This record gives sequence, C-alpha cells and structure tokens, in this order.
Amino acid sequence: MDPMSWTGTLGPILNPLIVASIAVFFLAFLTQAVMIFAGMRPGEVVITPDQNHGISIPRSPVDYTLMAMKYAILVFLACIVLFFIAGVFQSDLTDQGVVGAVGARFLPVWIALIITFTVSIRFKRVLGLYGKLFDSPIGMVGFFLVMFWVFTAIFAGLVATHGPIDVISQMRNEVPGAFIPNSNEGDFPAYLLGGDNLGRDVFSRMVHGAREVLQIAPAATLFAFMIGITLGLPAGYFGGKMDTVITFIANLVLAFPVILLFYLLVTPEIVLAGVPQYMSMVLFIFPIIFFVVLFNSRYHTQPTKRAILLAVVLVTGALCYFSLISDRGDSDSPLRFWPEVLDIFDIPGNLLIVFVSVVFVNSPTVFRIVRGIVLDIKTRDYVAAGQTRGEGPWYIMLWEILPNARGPLIVDFCLRIGYTTILLGTLGFFGLGVDPESANWGSTINEGRRLLTIYPHPPLAPALALMTLVLGLNLLADGLREESLKD
Amino acid sequence: MANREPHDGPILEIDNLSISFFTRMREIPAVMDFSCTVQPGEAMGLVGESGCGKSTVALGVMRDLGVNGRIVGGSITFRGRNLNAMTDEVLRELRGSEIAMIYQEPMASLNPAMKVGKQLMEVPMIHEKISAREAFERALEVVTDVRLPDPKRMLDSFPHQLSGGQQQRIVIAMALMANPSLLILDEPTTALDVTVEAAVVELVKDLGKKYGTSMLFISHNLGLVLETCDRICVMYSGEAVETGSIKDVFNKMRHPYTQALFRSIPLPGADKNARPLIAIPGNFPLPHERPPGCNFGPRCDYFKTGLCDAQDIPMAAIKGHDRHSSRCLRFTEIDWLAPRALPSGKAKGSVGNPVLKVDNLKKYYEVAANSMFGGGDTKVVKANETLSFEAHEAETLAIVGESGCGKSTLAKVLMGLETATDGQVFLDNRNIEATRIEDRDTSTVSSIQMVFQNPFDTLNPSMTVGRQIIRALEIFRYGNSEAERRSRMLELLDLVKLPRAFADRMPRQLSGGQKQRVGIARAFAGGARIVVADEPVSALDVSVQAAVTDLLMEIQRNEKTTLLFISHDLSIVRYLSDRVMVMYLGHVVELGDTDQVFSPPYHPYTEALLSAVPIADTSVEKQHIVLEGDIPSAMNPPPGCPFQTRCRWKSEVPENLCETRIPPMRRLADGHEIKCHLADDILMRMAPVIKISAELHNSLSVRRQVRSRAT
Repeated sequence: MDPMSWTGTLGPILNPLIVASIAVFFLAFLTQAVMIFAGMRPGEVVITPDQNHGISIPRSPVDYTLMAMKYAILVFLACIVLFFIAGVFQSDLTDQGVVGAVGARFLPVWIALIITFTVSIRFKRVLGLYGKLFDSPIGMVGFFLVMFWVFTAIFAGLVATHGPIDVISQMRNEVPGAFIPNSNEGDFPAYLLGGDNLGRDVFSRMVHGAREVLQIAPAATLFAFMIGITLGLPAGYFGGKMDTVITFIANLVLAFPVILLFYLLVTPEIVLAGVPQYMSMVLFIFPIIFFVVLFNSRYHTQPTKRAILLAVVLVTGALCYFSLISDRGDSDSPLRFWPEVLDIFDIPGNLLIVFVSVVFVNSPTVFRIVRGIVLDIKTRDYVAAGQTRGEGPWYIMLWEILPNARGPLIVDFCLRIGYTTILLGTLGFFGLGVDPESANWGSTINEGRRLLTIYPHPPLAPALALMTLVLGLNLLADGLREESLKD
Repeated sequence: MANREPHDGPILEIDNLSISFFTRMREIPAVMDFSCTVQPGEAMGLVGESGCGKSTVALGVMRDLGVNGRIVGGSITFRGRNLNAMTDEVLRELRGSEIAMIYQEPMASLNPAMKVGKQLMEVPMIHEKISAREAFERALEVVTDVRLPDPKRMLDSFPHQLSGGQQQRIVIAMALMANPSLLILDEPTTALDVTVEAAVVELVKDLGKKYGTSMLFISHNLGLVLETCDRICVMYSGEAVETGSIKDVFNKMRHPYTQALFRSIPLPGADKNARPLIAIPGNFPLPHERPPGCNFGPRCDYFKTGLCDAQDIPMAAIKGHDRHSSRCLRFTEIDWLAPRALPSGKAKGSVGNPVLKVDNLKKYYEVAANSMFGGGDTKVVKANETLSFEAHEAETLAIVGESGCGKSTLAKVLMGLETATDGQVFLDNRNIEATRIEDRDTSTVSSIQMVFQNPFDTLNPSMTVGRQIIRALEIFRYGNSEAERRSRMLELLDLVKLPRAFADRMPRQLSGGQKQRVGIARAFAGGARIVVADEPVSALDVSVQAAVTDLLMEIQRNEKTTLLFISHDLSIVRYLSDRVMVMYLGHVVELGDTDQVFSPPYHPYTEALLSAVPIADTSVEKQHIVLEGDIPSAMNPPPGCPFQTRCRWKSEVPENLCETRIPPMRRLADGHEIKCHLADDILMRMAPVIKISAELHNSLSVRRQVRSRAT
C-alpha cells in the first residue's frame, strides 16, 4: 500500500495557493527592498486640522508591498489551518493526508487551547499580569506555542498513536504516512511521521517526549530559582564580605565548563562515591529554608498562626526532602536511612543527576540577577520605612523586595525554562540524560543523527518540537516583559 | 558664529498650538490652544504643576515629541520660519545651534564617556564646521563665561569628576556654544541645592543679558520665575490660563487658578496659626478626564454652573494691561481685591516638656578602600559633629541644610539604623544612641517614626494600602485580632482624610499627595510621639503641598507630636516651624526660634541661604548674596570653620581664626545660638536679607503680637 500523501484530498486545491503565497511574499520583499534603496518611504500619518483630529495615512508604493507581504503570510497560515480543520472533519486517512491526520490527532489540544484563550481573553482585565499578556500579540503567540506543548504533554496518551517504545520491525525507517502492513483491528493503521531505525513511531515519540521534557525542565528551573533567590537576597541586601564570598563562588561555577561538569557527574566513580546524592542533599534543602523563613518573618508577631504554618511547611518539606534524597531500593545509594513506609517517591539515579546538574548550572546566574535587583530596590524609601519600624532583614528581603523584583524574575524564568530544555537536549545528545529508551527530544535527536543523510525525518520532528517550545518561551518572555513595563 | 539673516520680529511665536499623544486606546490631548510670543532678549516663564503640559510645549518647539506625539493644530514660528513644516534635515541644523535646550538632570545631558571639552567642541564643529583649534578656543571662552574655576582643567575632565552645580554650568556652556537665539530651560535647577541654584540662576540671567538670548524658562517654582523672567505664562491641565508681564500676573492676577496658586504657597506673612495656607480643593484632572468647559471649574471658588461648563473658553485680553490675558469668563465680575476668606485661625498648641535631648552627638563613618580584605587606607567621614539640641512635646523643630550637611545621618541615628560614635541621645531620659533598632523595644520604635521624601517610593508598590498600614500595626503589636487591626487602620485613614475605600487600592492608583498621606498614617500607626519628616512635601506640587502640610500640623495639634521637619525650603520652614536648626557639613551653625533665625544677626551661612531661596512676591526685596563654589565634601572638610571656604565675612575675623579653629557655639540671646567667630558688633551690623514693603510689614507685626500674646 502506498503511503498517504502529505496533504490528502485538499492538496490539489491548497498546495498551489501555498506556493503562490510564498512566491508573492518573496517578490514583495525584494520589490520593497529595491524601493527603499531607491529612496521611497512608507506614507506618514497626516492629521486633518479640523476639530476631530481625524488621522489619514496616504499610501505609498512601499506600503502596498508591505501589505502584499502581510496578506501572503495570512494566506499561508490560513491554508495550514484549513488542512488541520479539514483533517478533523474527514475520517479517512488517505483523504486527510499527513498534515490533516496530525491535526486531527491533536484535537484534544486544540479544544483545550480554544477554551483557555476564550476564557482568558474574556476575563483579561481582572487577571493581572497574566491578563495583560493578551494585549500583546507577541505574548499571545508565545503563550499559544507554550500551551500547545503543555497540553500535548497532558493529553499525550490521547494524542499519540502508539506507545513511545512500541516496535514494529517492518516499519524501520519508513517514510511519513506509511501504512502498517497487516495492522490489527483497532490499532492506528499508519506511522504519521514515519518510523525510526528501530521501527518506533516518530510522531508518538515526539508527543511522549513533550511529557518528559515538561516534567523536568520547569521543576529544575524552579529549584534553580529558589536557590538563586535564597542566596541572592542576603548577598545583595547585606553586602560586605558575605556578598564577596558568595559572588566569588558563583563566578567560579559559571567559569567551569558545563559539559565537563556533566561528564564528571556521570563518571561511575563519582556516582559510586555518592557525589550527586550529597549535592542533592545540599541543593534541595534550600526550598525548605526559603519557605520557613518566608512564613516566619511574616507571622512572627502572631505566634499561633506562625506555629501552624511552620508545622505544615516543615512536615511536608521534610517528607519530600527525605523521600527525595534517600532511596532504600537502590543498593548503590549512600543515603538509605529513610524508612520505606514514609518514602513517598523515588527518583531514578540518572534523573537525579540531570536535575542536580541543571540546578547547579543555572542557580549562579539567577543569583546574579536577584542580587542586582536587590541592590537597586534596597535604596527605596519603603525599604527604609520597613527598617525604621523595626522589621527584620528577612521580612524586608522576602516581602518588601522580592515581590517588586517579580517582573524581571518571571521573564527570566520563562527564558530559563527554554535554556533548560535545550540543556536537557544537550545532555540527552551526549547520552548523559535519562534512560536511553526515553522519548526525550534530545536523546531522540541524538539517535537519529547517525542516519541523518539517508533518513532525515526521525530527528527532524523532535528538533522542530524543541525549536517551537523554546521560541514560544522566548516570545512569552518578551510579551511579559513588554506588558510588565507598561502601567 | 553662524551667519543668520537678520530678523526683527519676535523670536518665537506659538499660535493656538495643540499637541496630542496617540495611544492604542485613544488620543490624549497634552496641550490645547496654547499661544505665546517671545520677543528678542525676552525671558518667558512657563509655570504650572506637573502634568500641565509645560514640558510638552518645550518639546513641541524642539519638534521632538517622539513616536506617539503629534502637533494636531496651530503653528510654531521661529524667527519667521514655520517649524511645523520643516523636514528632519532642516530641524537637525536648527537644534543645538539656533534653539538649545537645557534639561533638569545635568548628568543625563552629558556623555559620561567623553571629556567635557570634547563634548563642548562638538557643537560648533558640527554646526559651523570650524576647526578643532577654533572650537577649543570658543569652549575655553564659554567655560570662563559660565564662571567655572580653572577652565583648562575643567575641559580636560570627565563629567563624573565635576559636582552637580559644575555639571549644570557645563550644560549651560554647551547650550551657549552655538550662540542660540532661543534657549529653552526645563527645570534647570531642580536637581541642585538652593545656594548652588541661586548661583546658577544668577548666571543664566547675566548670560541672557550678555548674549541677548531669548529664553523659555520652565519651572514649577513661582519664585524662581519672578527672579529670572520678564513675562510669565501660567498653565493648567494643558492650557495656558493666564499670561502677562511678571508684575501684572503677580500683583494683578486675573485668573482664579493663579490666585489659588499664590494662596497655597508659603509667602512671608503666612503663619500656620493665624494665616494658614489655603490648599486648592480637589485633584488635578487626568488628560482624558477633563471636565467640559473650564478645566479648573470643579476646583474653582467662582464656578458658575451653566456658564463655566457650557463652552470652550477662549483667552481674553485684559484692558489696560500690557499683553495680559486670562482664560476666564468671569474675570471682569470677580472682585480681585477682596481679602481672602480666612479659615478660622487656630489656637497655637502649647509646647510641653523636652521629649528628645541630643547632647554632643557625633557620627563618624570609616570608609575602607578595599572591602574584601579590609586593607588599604581608611578614611573617616565626619557626618555629624557635636550636635546638641532639645525638642519639646508638640513642637516643630526644623532642621535646615543642603545635601551633605548630615541631616539624614542624624535621622538615621535617631531611628536606630546607625549607632552614634560619641555623645548621647535621650528619649524621655533614656539613652538610645547606642541601641540599634533590632534591640529597641516596640514602644521605643513606635514612638519615633519617619515620613519619607519621595511619595512614589514611600509605599511598597505591590501591597495594598490597607495591608501596609496593618503590617505597621502588627509589628507594633497593636490589637489581638485581624479585625481589630483592620478597624484601627480605617481610623488611621480617617485621620489623614483619605476615604476608607482606599484601603483596598494599590499605591499606583493613588496620586502623590495621597501616597504621602498614607505614609503619614503609617508613621502614626504606633502612636508616634516624635516624627522625623524628611522633606515630606518637597516632591509634591505646590497646591498639594499646602494640604499635606496642613494635615501634618493638624495631627500635631491633636496628638501633641514632636515634629522634626527636615527641609531645605526656608519658606515652608518659616511657615510651620517653632524653632529652626541650621546645619552645614555636619555642624549645627545656628539654632533658635524661627523669628530669631529669620532676622539678623545671622550666621553667614543662614544669611546666604535666606538670600538664595526664591520668594514669589514682588513686594519683597532681597539682598543678593551669591556663594562662590560648591559645598565641600564631608570626606575632606576644610580646616577650622566648616563654612570658611564660602564665607563672605571671613575677612572681618582677625588672625586667620576661621581657617585654624572651629568656632565655639555662642549664645546671642535666650535660646539663640550660633557657631561663628564674628565679633558681636559685626553681627549687630548685619542688615536683614529680606525687606518687605510697608503694607506687608504691618501684617507681620500684627502676627508677632498674636504670637507674643499666645506665649
């Protein structure tokens, strides 16, 4: 059976349109460049000098080329959207084509996105900074891309056509849209984006990969932030020797080659000596310190409230902390004291290493950002007002300074998830990441690399996924920055 | 200089100018129907509160309105040429050579990476294409003209090596390099100290005469405009409301806003008890929420429904005055000579026992050259030297001085943010000078509180107003439950006359004056007995200043609070303080009752300070005393008397005493002390700095009688 076409039944109609729109775009671009060189300028705004101050913009040829470019892009996007929509309503795979079928598989994601956007835009005026994001087109595009992958991760089970490690040996290196010979009734009859060199479905691995990436990257970034903030606040606020020492250590970590650090962390001798475990012991205690200090400084004037809050934080914190660092089941682990009954979860050794190294590499940068912002904000009068009414230094740092540093921190958080995602990819690419079978995008790209010249499709799908996610995070950060500056 | 075709008409003619800013949502009109004319050699003052559009006019003249700003109507004619129609190329030629602009912040106008000389030379080299040598000669000449010492060295230094006053002089020199026909000054002295400001203003005036330059002087300070300008234009909410010669507008004003403005600033003769200031009620309208008809209508005493809100109001000329016009429909009906309705004079609060006593307080800082290893030279900064004073219950003690005089350090020591190096501070006979704020008990902390200067900084922008006051109550251990604290917080809002609904607002939704009120409420949360107010009104607009000052006075009367009022503005100090302490470079140079300090004999520094403060009253005659140079650095104070480097009386003291020995504190009269070597007979010879014409003098003496009766 022939593999299905890319565009299905709509192809003959829409494909020429797409080609035409691309041609128009480049033609218009060239013409515009020539006209600008020739000294023509876009039309300027003219204000009618009457009472109403109406505005009119006389159009010059440059404006017309700009318009042509704009509409070409719109037509192109409209065609893609049409393919997806048509895919949802056609039932036969050959009619849908690869693009239509992929669009149809993502149906739960589309629905979730439509609901999120409708609700958010409807209530954007009461949603604070998040709501204002919907005033910025760039922020909206970024949010769309990010949420697309978040929903894909959530609905991975519904979207994927096969399991991430299901192997069908006849499908090795098959092209996108290839049908599975003699497929069972009820199974999905084709590999939408082809098969890789072991005969696994590229599309399903990409979808499941989203889940892997989005489980690790934001959590690791969050930890890096907690550590950076917990160290950066006092360094900036108190200054002096302590600041000098911490900054020096941060610079040391920043100066150390990242890849070498990763290699060191996975060297068997170092793993056996338990270095990652000990490092995790140190790194993961910071969030607990953070929350204890946060609530203590705020509620120390109200003893009962403080006692309750601290008890909650300490109990849950300790439970998570010890579950995290101690692993009874792993005979190699040096930390095995925590009783099995209380051990809620274990983290596989490999994952722990990835986590530790990502946190270790990212926190010095966060530290520097926080320290810089604190140096600025601590000169404000409301900080002085806090000091003159006898507030403790930690209250001032966590409740007076930190909330006002949130703008740059949120933006950096988005960017940093992007870096971490790439870092995970890099780690996977070096074979340092999570387990080798994992659908993680980085590892998948690495596997596909070997046969890249003959079969380019297996690494292309996860690479595009990684690109769109990071692009989305960057655009989201841009949008947030732009909107948080207005006010 | 550039070859310019001769021109005899007015230098600048602005005719019905309207400027709007366009946002995604709407058009925001910033300036509406603005007209003014500047004749050659004339200085035009543009006065108004922040947001009234005066800077927009200046930028409009420069045609530098940014992406969103557009001229939507009217015309700007400069030396007979229409500025509206000029292309960017022609404008570039014009800016900096024929029209020059001086901005508020000198450091922001200078390139920090370029030597001063080079920046100055650039101007004629670009505009007139002259050689570097010629340009250097010209730079040297102009720098000498702006009276900077050692011009060669100045040209060879970077901007950060100069003091604020010197920087501003360099900026002025740069503007003069091309010998412009029009100089636009946008609040050129706001960032400077008073005595430095006085010198710069004097300079600008002289240079205007020497070079024959026309000036457009933008300021919020009426006194400054009186000293520098020939004509004035008062703006309110995007419109010019009154324009005319200084004399007409100051003495025969014909617009209710101008009148209200003058009534809200502390002129000599105002008194907090007998003749309090009258604040303008209400708030400044936002640009997109202007009322129909007269913009000032809702705040005007003479408002008439159906007339003032029915139509757009044009400028109308006033007969018999020289080019004097007003944007008011009723100015012919209003009786401008009617005495103002005085709010009932309030009884003066009686001053109680001493609450705070400071004895020989010293605060030195050690500044190390290297922070990590602590090595290198250590320098000692003497921020406070032997301060001694007392403050009584229900008294206002003003602490006056310019930047670097040690008033903020004094506040820090009182608050416990720093500990004293030597000496004693008593609060109710308890020593507190060595106890840091962490070690003070709650009642001590809550009884000394502070009100801060900058209203935009005093509240945490990410916490509601109510929450911030409640936090202060929490930390002062007030009440046992959240509900109790909340009700107290609402009472505090009542105390500072803010609506209770403000409790749930964020600080960004409040105006400057409202924020400052919240700051005051927060300071009084723990029942403060001593409030250190660090320039609490200097960042506010004049009309709001009066209201906030009044509020402070009223709370003081009711709560019997001791107010330590830190300020550099002598007008407001004279208005509200009972006693005044003048500080210079860490020393108290004069201490006494308000009347004693404001009349001779003075300390030479007080004398200069009094002369430097601009007073917006044409009937006041001031002696002109301009101090040479800048305030010395506290790192490297002069030997002997701290003021000797700038003192004009130094030659009167024999044996070089001023340069060798720090003068002792001398008692001149009961409660009046000065730190000066001058002999008694010389002190007695001093003439009053401020002379007031007869009519005002009478009211002053009445006031003195009232005061003596009260005590």
